[in-house]
Amino acid sequence: MTTTRQPYARQFVEAAQSQIDRNRERAKKGLEILLAREEPPVGITPKDVIYSRGTMRLYHYRPWTDEVYRVPVVFIMSLVSKPWILDLTSGQSFVQHMLQEGFDVFMVDWGIPRPEDTNLRFEDYVDDLMPRCFEEVQKATGEEEYTILGYCMGGMLALMYGGINPDAPIKNLICAATPVDMDGMGLFKTWTDKRYFDIDRLVDSVGNIPPDLMLRSFEMLRPSDRLFSYVRLLDNLWDPMFVMGYRIMYKWTNEQIPFPGETYRQFVRDLMWENKLLNGTMDIAGKRVDLKAIKYPVFNAMAEHDHIAPYKATRPLTSLVGSEDTEDITLKGGHVSLVAGKNAVGRLWPRVAEWLGERSV
Amino acid sequence: MADGNGRTESANADVAETWRNWLTETERQVNGFFNEVMGTDAFSRVAGNYMDGYSVMQRTLNQGMERYLNTFNLPTHSDIVELGDRLRTIDERLTTIEGNLRTVAEKAGLEPSASVTQLKPKRTRRPKSQKKNPAS
Repeated sequence: MTTTRQPYARQFVEAAQSQIDRNRERAKKGLEILLAREEPPVGITPKDVIYSRGTMRLYHYRPWTDEVYRVPVVFIMSLVSKPWILDLTSGQSFVQHMLQEGFDVFMVDWGIPRPEDTNLRFEDYVDDLMPRCFEEVQKATGEEEYTILGYCMGGMLALMYGGINPDAPIKNLICAATPVDMDGMGLFKTWTDKRYFDIDRLVDSVGNIPPDLMLRSFEMLRPSDRLFSYVRLLDNLWDPMFVMGYRIMYKWTNEQIPFPGETYRQFVRDLMWENKLLNGTMDIAGKRVDLKAIKYPVFNAMAEHDHIAPYKATRPLTSLVGSEDTEDITLKGGHVSLVAGKNAVGRLWPRVAEWLGERSV
Repeated sequence: MADGNGRTESANADVAETWRNWLTETERQVNGFFNEVMGTDAFSRVAGNYMDGYSVMQRTLNQGMERYLNTFNLPTHSDIVELGDRLRTIDERLTTIEGNLRTVAEKAGLEPSASVTQLKPKRTRRPKSQKKNPAS
């Protein structure tokens, strides 16, 4: 009897001990999170500001290799979020991955729009700030050609830039989670229905769209996400990697920035209501955005469960451009996990580096 | 004993796995339910009305605040915006001056001050596929 009971008793004790250890870790980590004063370090890859104007900064990341690809790559960030999502933390940074792979990396960070930036329009970004940044990249590298990598709305800006500058020396274009067909924007499309949504009244009243309003509208797309993320955190409090990842993503999600008012008005009127980018009727600074004029290689990365830039909205991108060298890649996951996190580390980043390496000599 | 341990571990894993699956499924269903509700015409109308109310409230608040701030001789929102505009003009002029100084310095053969521009890696890297087959 004793010999058969003993192993079960030992198993019970071991299992209990393991649960006690985990719960002790949970309590400790929980307290650390509750009392945390120090924020997790993000966006720390060494870089220099080589050009700035207003809130915009053009960063040049310090190369990690003695030999880099001839063509530099310029990351263009979205207007509605902070750029460090692409440079989270060591081992979790898209920028660092590209540096390790031997690319010369630049990034356009639009900064946090100030009240005086209310009047900024797509024209200011696409026909003024972006060309100026590319000039600086050319000066810094001595190379005429450059690759553009746009994330979310950054990809839209890149498409607009390419569409009005058919002769620009763009070597390659990479778009990640970039919506082009606004009819596929799901709830955003419904909520901005022109019968009920008075965009003029909103922008004329508030100027820049407040970050809180932006955050709430993103959260409403998945109303239960916040609650369930707390449950998952509780479940994984014993795991330091999970907690660190959670804290970083929590910080990023909650650091929403305002949307420049006039750009938002243009976004709703020209894109959400008229779908001008898809229809080929969009004009920037009096020039038609002709996506068929984009003849260089285009890589389109999409997420299957993207709730912000849904798959339906991002899928047509490569069919709109005039390039014959195009590649579409669809990964499981959402808007953020496409470019950051396990999914991105193991799948998107290596694929981008490989695709781009072959086209950057 | 190994079997016994394996059974306990696997039973624990099963419970955890079931709990996580339930969590994911519940989350999907809750989101799906709310998305259906929020995707209706009626919700759009309500949201539109809310935004109208929000806009009116913001405008009234701003105007009221401006009057109070003027009374107490404090800078208003528009004063700060104007100040920001002037600072931005100064900022842009400084950037132009810096750029011009850099050009002058380069022409005079002086080292530019930006540290990154001193790092000049060779731009001759080739992709792995081309390194393996130099002939291609």
